[in-house]
Amino acid sequence: MIESIPPFVPVLIAAVIAAVAPRKVGHAVGFLATAGVAVGVLLVPEGTLIAGQLFGFETVLYAVDDFSRLMGLIFGLIGAAAVLYSYSSEADGKQTAAALGYVGTSLGAVFAGDWLTLVFFWELMAVTSTLLVWYYGGRAVRTGFRYALAHGIGGTLVLGAVVWQYVEVGSFLFGAATGVVGPVAPILMAVGIGVNVGFIGLHTWLPDTYPSPHIAASVFLCVYTTKTGVYAMFRAFPEGNLWIAYMGGAMAVFGASMALLQEDMRRLLSYHIISQVGYMVAGVGIMSDLATAGAFGHVFNHILYKALLFMSIGVVIYRTGIEDITEVGGLWKVMPVTFISYLFGAAAISGVPGFNGFVSKGIVIAEAHYSMDTFVIGSKSMFLGGEDLLWWMLIIGGVGTFMSFIKLGYYVFFHGPASIDPDDAKIGQAAPMLAVGSLCLAFGLLPGVLFELLPYTDVVTAEYTTYTTPHVIEGVVLGVAGFVGFFALKNVLSRLTWIPDVDRVLNPAVFYGGRALVVAVTETWAAVDRVAVAAASGALRVGSDPQHFAYTTAKRLPGIEADTRPNGGRPETIDLQVSMGTSVFLIVMTLLGALAVLLL
Amino acid sequence: MTDIVLPLLIAVPIVAAVAPLLLSLWSTETGWPVATVAALIETGLAAVLLRSVYLDGRLVHEVGGYPAPYGIELVGDGLSAPIVALVAVVSLGVLAFARSAGPRRNSFYSAYLLCVGGLMGISITGDLFNMFVFLEITGIATYALVAADRSGESAIAALKYLLLGTTGASLFLIGVGYALISTGTLNMVDLSVRLAEIYTTPGGSRVVLASFGFIAVGLGLKAAIFPLHTWQPDAYTYAPDTVTVFIAALASTVYAYALGRVVLTVFTVDFFDAVPLAQDGLLALATVSILAGSALAAVQSEVKRMFAYSSVAQFGLVVAAFALATPDSVLGGVIHLVGHGLMKGGLFAAAAILAARHGARTVDDYARLGYRSPVVAAALGVLGFALVGVPPSIGFLGKWYVALGAVRAEAWPVAVVVFLSTLFTLVYVARLLERLYFADPGTAATPAPGEAVTDGGDEDETADRVDSRVPDSVSVGMVAVVVLTALVVVALGFATSGFETLLDPVLTEVFSQ
Repeated sequence: MIESIPPFVPVLIAAVIAAVAPRKVGHAVGFLATAGVAVGVLLVPEGTLIAGQLFGFETVLYAVDDFSRLMGLIFGLIGAAAVLYSYSSEADGKQTAAALGYVGTSLGAVFAGDWLTLVFFWELMAVTSTLLVWYYGGRAVRTGFRYALAHGIGGTLVLGAVVWQYVEVGSFLFGAATGVVGPVAPILMAVGIGVNVGFIGLHTWLPDTYPSPHIAASVFLCVYTTKTGVYAMFRAFPEGNLWIAYMGGAMAVFGASMALLQEDMRRLLSYHIISQVGYMVAGVGIMSDLATAGAFGHVFNHILYKALLFMSIGVVIYRTGIEDITEVGGLWKVMPVTFISYLFGAAAISGVPGFNGFVSKGIVIAEAHYSMDTFVIGSKSMFLGGEDLLWWMLIIGGVGTFMSFIKLGYYVFFHGPASIDPDDAKIGQAAPMLAVGSLCLAFGLLPGVLFELLPYTDVVTAEYTTYTTPHVIEGVVLGVAGFVGFFALKNVLSRLTWIPDVDRVLNPAVFYGGRALVVAVTETWAAVDRVAVAAASGALRVGSDPQHFAYTTAKRLPGIEADTRPNGGRPETIDLQVSMGTSVFLIVMTLLGALAVLLL
Repeated sequence: MTDIVLPLLIAVPIVAAVAPLLLSLWSTETGWPVATVAALIETGLAAVLLRSVYLDGRLVHEVGGYPAPYGIELVGDGLSAPIVALVAVVSLGVLAFARSAGPRRNSFYSAYLLCVGGLMGISITGDLFNMFVFLEITGIATYALVAADRSGESAIAALKYLLLGTTGASLFLIGVGYALISTGTLNMVDLSVRLAEIYTTPGGSRVVLASFGFIAVGLGLKAAIFPLHTWQPDAYTYAPDTVTVFIAALASTVYAYALGRVVLTVFTVDFFDAVPLAQDGLLALATVSILAGSALAAVQSEVKRMFAYSSVAQFGLVVAAFALATPDSVLGGVIHLVGHGLMKGGLFAAAAILAARHGARTVDDYARLGYRSPVVAAALGVLGFALVGVPPSIGFLGKWYVALGAVRAEAWPVAVVVFLSTLFTLVYVARLLERLYFADPGTAATPAPGEAVTDGGDEDETADRVDSRVPDSVSVGMVAVVVLTALVVVALGFATSGFETLLDPVLTEVFSQ
């Protein structure tokens, strides 16, 4: 029974119900559907469950393996928490309907067994998430438009890659080839998915869009798009790819650095998505099973703590209406539950030992240490020498993460006395927050449970021990470096917030470039139109009296005496009909020409 | 036994052509029924041939039982069957038109049937000299038809056609003579083998080259390829409207088919490979014809003359298709031959009806006729768009395959001109449609039927003379012919697979070497 229902079906049905039913009913149905998916995916057996035809091609609508099961579990789990949070945060039924549509299409994408089905849901994800952003109105309309544009381009690239893949392999099925093959498809695929996971340069939509809609919408947004991207990246490059690994490292550093400069709460968190996704991308890129398992563990953990962070910061915004960290402060006393949730999330994302982030981030960093030797810095004998560039990037990203979450926490919850006196989180907000927070802690303290959920469980349990002295020391050092770094640089950082991201250039460039393109196309068409009209009216003018036209043209030519035939012709005309003699002359000339060409 | 339809296709109209002359002793109105009966038989025979070729491929009949290459062969295959069907159907359609449009004299129908017989002969003969004979039969009958209304202009046009057409036929005959000298045979299939022996041996090919040159120019003249077209606009314009419909739809079509037949069956694709200049020259001629014909059509003020020049361009397209000599382009060429025959016949018929109803002869006369003769104008619009190549229509199909062939052969200038020809065609078709539907109401003061169209010159003579070319009256049957043609032209736009099946054996054979 459960094998024959793909997970996206109940969630999409719930989305339809949420769109029309009363708010309470809609949210209840949504919660049950997503929670049901989380339970259901644990029960279904592995394998292909529904194969069929899409657009006349052989496809697999519903396939389950360790990877998709993990994605389905966490998507369902966090979907349920976010629906609950939405309900308490006064989200509209229609907004939650869009969010459930987004969740459903994401589930469709991660349970697809072939590229065509995946790209089909991929495009629908872009549509539903854009609706989710747009529903909020106001500023979100503009950012949502840019979001749609970015994902339209990305989706098109992925689609192009899928077509190339089909040409190369002759099948859309994942099983037909190891990842994406051929000369072109991998590049298109990497760039197309790169838009979704926020490759540097392609990331601008992310910090642009996620802070703009409703706080509950942000919770949904921070989970699905980028993580589906990581999942797809794994499907495209199951054996890893060095370039992608280093891109992941660069994203880790870039995201954390940019986050440090932000003063908008959700914008800071958004940059951290880039940084954290960087760890996952690095894990997918590193060519070892353990790193892949680490990447998926990080996907799982990140969804938990990032949703938690967005929820707790969302509560602050919900209660105070303030989004700028410099305008609030000292809230830990008045909002203790929110503060504790935040603390759990921040500790988890920073990789404090004992929280889940420490486990999965540790695996990726360890694999950067063991499996990478492309750009080794220094020799083994030196202190901290012999490490790969990727390791350093991930470590620096880790310090940056500590610093920025200390910054966020410091400004929001400490930093002077509370000038305002907001209420703490509602029960309905606190419940999912605390539940997710305790999961962060539980998976941190019991990494074995997490390992059971991961793909390559036997590899992970055999090769990786979470709590070893070096690992813990590493975590502590990162934390200390973060503390020292933040308080040493606090004043400098607050003066550097003017540093722009590339979108300062990119957005106007796209806007004016697009406008130039439209104008150019219109003007070109207008020019063609003018030429065509001129030709037609010229033909009309000549055609109305060709003999007279010939006469006037001949008269205008220098050195030619235009003469009218004396007998029979109208004045000021030239007889244009070829006489019989001329005809015979033409025939003879043509014949001579033909024979000359052929015989000479 | 079905191969008996081949000689019958030729014999029936030629024998029937005698009947009106004899019957004239009894009544002067017997021509039309005789011709109609003959045309109906021809249509039936053509249907049998088409079905047989469609199902079984090539059909051969040895005339008099003498075997080829000494005897004369008649051949029905995928190349000739559609042309035979076109000739049969159009000659029947023109008769439906001529019932009330005239001319009514018995001698007209004798010439008419003789012409049909000649056209059939050219289409199915497998012998080069035999082709010349039918060329002459057709030519002489056509000259008589052009002059059928006995007016001064048509007599001069017919004379011009006679002189130039005979020149063309003579050039063709010289070319055939050269081929005979060098091979000793006249059978097309036999010739193709023996010619190949000659032009592949170095130094021995000059007679064959000359033969190709004479034949190409001779048939090019007959098919009215620029700059050999000068007889054609006059003949089309000054012939009686009924005759224009007939010869515009069939005469040049069959001559262009003959050119294609000679190029593909006698000289074959290998000749083009051996002598690329021959191919290039023919392509150049055809391309220039498309451009010049379109430009001349666009600047004409008289509608019949505009359509006549349009034919120059369209036959340029067909000759280009045969000269490209790829499977796609030959398929496109045959489709366009059939399509152009139907479309141009329909257009001239529509023009004839508008001339009879409203005295409209020039583009300006057409102002707002779309509201006064809505059915005929609409059919004219459909046929015009089909000629432009707007899908779904057979006009699109033909151009599409020719363009496809040009692109696949990587003959980019030809491909560009084929695409441009669509634009050029649009220019003059749009001119007509603009007049028909969007002309300023103030300019629509058209003369009443029968009113003289003065264009200077001998005013005394033209002022009281009724245009002798126009049909005597417009019947429902005439309008029905135009509308039916428009519908068929659109319907055949879906007949891709039919044409492909029909031509597949020929194309495989021609391009198998």
